[in-house]
Amino acid sequence: MSSKHLLALAAALAAVPTAAQAHHSFAAFFDPDKSVTVTGTVTEFRFTNPHGMIALDVKKPDGSIEKWRAETNAPVILVERGWTRDVIKPGDVVTIEGWPSRDGRNYLRLRDMKDAKGKRIGSAPFEPKAQS
Amino acid sequence: MRPCFAFAAAAVLLACTPGVAQSEDSAHPDLSGYWGAPIRNEPMPADLRAKLPPNTAILTDTGAAEYPRGEYGGLIPTAKAKAKADAWKPEDEMTLARVCMPQGVIYDEQGPFPMEIEQAPGLIVIRYEYFDQVRLIHTDGRPHLPANAPHTKMGDSIGHWEGNTLVVDTDHLEPSTITNNGLDHSDNIHLIERYRLGPDGKHLQASQWFTDPEMIANNGARYIEWNKQPGHYIQPYECDPSLATEYQGVKTGAAN
Repeated sequence: MSSKHLLALAAALAAVPTAAQAHHSFAAFFDPDKSVTVTGTVTEFRFTNPHGMIALDVKKPDGSIEKWRAETNAPVILVERGWTRDVIKPGDVVTIEGWPSRDGRNYLRLRDMKDAKGKRIGSAPFEPKAQS
Repeated sequence: MRPCFAFAAAAVLLACTPGVAQSEDSAHPDLSGYWGAPIRNEPMPADLRAKLPPNTAILTDTGAAEYPRGEYGGLIPTAKAKAKADAWKPEDEMTLARVCMPQGVIYDEQGPFPMEIEQAPGLIVIRYEYFDQVRLIHTDGRPHLPANAPHTKMGDSIGHWEGNTLVVDTDHLEPSTITNNGLDHSDNIHLIERYRLGPDGKHLQASQWFTDPEMIANNGARYIEWNKQPGHYIQPYECDPSLATEYQGVKTGAAN
C-alpha cells in the first residue's frame, strides 16, 4: 500500500466516529482517572441486575472497622470473566481495586479483585469502557 | 383414536387456530436457540451495507461501549432532539424511578446481553435477557396493528423471508433512547432489521436500520452479531431498583 493510500486510510479511520466510552452513569458517579484499593472481609455479595454489589468490612490500623461497598458490572459481564454467584462468600478476605466515588465516601466501582492469596478472581480486570 | 384420524383432526385444529397460519417456515433457516451477547462492534458485511438506504449513518456502539456525550455516531439530531439531548443528565438514569425502566428494542438488542429465539410457523419469539423483555415477530402475513394501537418498547413487528434472510419491519414503538446519551427517538420511528445465519451457522448476523424524521435528519443503522451457545439459557434479569439508593444525594462529576 502506498504512503498516499496509508494517509487516506488514516484519514478515513480518523473520520469514523468511535464508541469506546463507558456508560455515562459510570462517569457521572465515579472518577475514571483515580484508583482506590481496599482489603477487607466480605459481608455480602449480591449477584444482581442492573449491577452487583460487594459489602466489605475493612479493618483500620487502630482496629476499628470501616464499611465499604464495591459495585460491580452486571452479572452477564461478570460471568463472561469467569465469575459465579459463589465466587466469593461472606468471611472471605479480598482485595478490591477500582474507581472511587466522586463524593469521597467508601464506595467504589470494581475493576479488579484478588483473594487472600493474591490470586485474581475471574479471568481479567474490567476495563473502563465495559463500565455501565 | 386411529392414527390417520388423529392426524386429520390435528390438521383441522391447526388450520382453525387463530394466529397460527400455515406458512413455509420449516423451509427457512432455523434461527432458534440461545445467542450469546454481542460484546463488541464488528464491521457490517458489505452485502448488508448495500441494502441500506442512502443517507444512513452506521453506528459503531454495538456491545458495551457508548458514544461520549454530544456524539451520535454520525446521526444528525433535529433541533428538537438536540435540545432534549442537551438537557439530558446521566445521573437521572440512576434514580429509583428510572434505574429499572426498560429501554426500547433499538437500543436493547445491541447491548451486551444474550437472547433466545423460538421459531414456530407464523411466529418468532425473541426473549431478551436485558430487562426480561419479550418480542413477537409475526411471520404469518398479517399487517401492522391499526394506527391507534398502543405503542410499546418492543413495538409491533411483522416479518417475512427474503431467501435465507428474515426481514423484520417494526413500528408502534414508544419513545426511548437510541444511543443512551440523551438522543431519543420518537413514537414514529420505523425500524427494519435483516437477520441471517453466518456462513458457519454458529453466528447470527443482523443489520438494524431506522428512520425517524422527527428526531434524526438522516437515517441510522447498526450491525449486531451473536454467537450460538447450545445448552445455554437466558437468565432472569429481575432488575433490583435498590441500587439507585446508593446514588441518592451523591454529588456527581462533570466528566460525563
